[in-house]
Amino acid sequence: MGEEKGAILQFAPFQSHVDEGFWHRLSSLKLNKLGIDDSPIPITGYYAPCSHAQLSNHLSLLSESLLAESSELATLQPSASNRNKCSVPGTLHNTNTLEAYLNIDKQSLLSSEAKKIWDDIHSGKAVEDSTVLSRFLVISFADLKRWSFYYWFAFPALVLEPAATLINIKPALQWLSSVEAESLSTACNEWRNSSSTADVPFFLVNIASDSSARIRHLKDWETCQGHGDKLLYGFYDPCHFPNNPGWPLRNFLALISTRWNVERVQFLCYRENRGFADMSLSLVGEADISVPPGWKDNRHVPNAVGWEFSMGKKGSKCVNLSKAMDPLRLAVSAA
Amino acid sequence: MVLTQKLHEAFKGTVERITSPRTVSAFKEKGVLSVSEFVLAGDNLVSKCPTWSWESGEPSKRKPYLPVDKQFLITRNVPCLRRAASVEEEYEAGGGEVQLDNEDDDGWLATHGKPKETKSDEDDNLPSMDTLEISKRSTIQSIPTYFGGEEEEDIPDMAEFEDSDNVLENDPAIFQPLVAQEPDDDNILRTRTYDVSITYDKYYQTPRVWLTGYDESRGLLQPELVLEDVSQDHARKTVTIEDHPHLPGKHASVHPCRHGAVMKKIIDVLMSRGVEPEVDKYLFLFLKFVASVIPTIEYDYTMDFDLGSSSN
Repeated sequence: MGEEKGAILQFAPFQSHVDEGFWHRLSSLKLNKLGIDDSPIPITGYYAPCSHAQLSNHLSLLSESLLAESSELATLQPSASNRNKCSVPGTLHNTNTLEAYLNIDKQSLLSSEAKKIWDDIHSGKAVEDSTVLSRFLVISFADLKRWSFYYWFAFPALVLEPAATLINIKPALQWLSSVEAESLSTACNEWRNSSSTADVPFFLVNIASDSSARIRHLKDWETCQGHGDKLLYGFYDPCHFPNNPGWPLRNFLALISTRWNVERVQFLCYRENRGFADMSLSLVGEADISVPPGWKDNRHVPNAVGWEFSMGKKGSKCVNLSKAMDPLRLAVSAA
Repeated sequence: MVLTQKLHEAFKGTVERITSPRTVSAFKEKGVLSVSEFVLAGDNLVSKCPTWSWESGEPSKRKPYLPVDKQFLITRNVPCLRRAASVEEEYEAGGGEVQLDNEDDDGWLATHGKPKETKSDEDDNLPSMDTLEISKRSTIQSIPTYFGGEEEEDIPDMAEFEDSDNVLENDPAIFQPLVAQEPDDDNILRTRTYDVSITYDKYYQTPRVWLTGYDESRGLLQPELVLEDVSQDHARKTVTIEDHPHLPGKHASVHPCRHGAVMKKIIDVLMSRGVEPEVDKYLFLFLKFVASVIPTIEYDYTMDFDLGSSSN
């Protein structure tokens, strides 16, 4: 288990998923309301902690990711918090032509999205509402004549320079004593079952000398200091790999090092099995971060990466839904 | 769609519009559920198996007789590690299953048949060659048939664009599992995933299961290919492809016409063993039975109560 001391801490990239319903709603929005207006649209993505040893979770776009025509606004999203759908703010740049889509300046879009994350870290907004740490963006072109949709996700991550080094990473069950593991499982299940915290994806874990574990909000960081208790930085980890943390940890580390000046971080990659905390799938890792020079100055925005890989390389994805959306085809199949 | 099926849909739709939903419990007598019993059983499923959640679905498709935030149940990203057809071969070699309905040959399987148990531990790491063949074939089929078909030439191939030109990312902190783990390695089973949802069918007064399938790169599976993950006894008879009552698009569904009768039989078996079935456990029993239809889709229906096996 674990990797060689001093190795670069490597993060498993976020994977995207777009539900068919999202494209249906985007099409109707484009035809009925937006027209040729191609200004950025706020969208909501959803994810949940990994819940299967062999399968990562995705960041999903569903039809409710897009606010529909105004009349539906009031009745939309009645279930405020759903533990299987933790919401993440995103931005959609939907172009009018394929040429415009291909010529988008991806690097500057990514940088401006990363700057929002950076500003939220410096202003403290990310401590109040941690979901902004996983902010994402999507570029797309909806070819409504052919019912084809071209798209590409980016999950901006602030790059630590030099990169964080990994000291060790192992299943939480090995890192914790059995009493601590049991107490932490109970605390995590309570956190996930309470409607006020179920979709809060970043948190602090306090383990006292009597082995009892408590979960706290990021804004309670100060009160967690100075008791000699163990402090773990926890996050909902969508990835299932046994030796790597998932992508959301990247911007969390940026927050931890810039805001709290922590240099040695112990983090908890929180994962579940069948919807319950699983300390053998969850990981505890330890990493060293040296705060890059210039990070204290919020005018300096760090480099960012994050365009999604699909099938091992960078590039757009395309989906054709003519079978489900083309009125002609629907008429033929219904006849 | 077949004409008779369309006629039946029209008939069913009319009946649903003009009749009021069931309010009196007939759970033990007929194996059916009233609307409030469906909500009760759904609440219990969500609390015991938290990978399931209630959703409200498309606003335009909401049913007035169900609570706005409890229109249907769904569990997303459920793994399906191999095709049902290949499991059945092994399963039959191991003794076959118990049929509940021998006299009229409906092919419903007893809930105590054990398709899940028979696929022992080795399925994680040692896919058989049969499984690999099937999964390969289906992946190859899925792309041309669903994503474009005969219009394929019209759709520009994104690979030609090389649109990664202005993305220059070279970051040593990115873990690249796809590159690292799939170098033409034939031993890796291409895992499909499913979104499984349960709706309330007002006409049959039972829950109804819907399947949305995805290939290993999370591309939508043509509903016809979903049939490969359905027990072959059911694939052509009881699993149909229809509009989802709360979501857009066509989805595969286990047709509910016999659900009430099967549930009634299960309830009778339990009662004959001295177990008094409770209505809030309905969906656990139901999902256990559905597992015989889709044996390799690993959705959660954890049992934490006595199913009536005490007499064994």
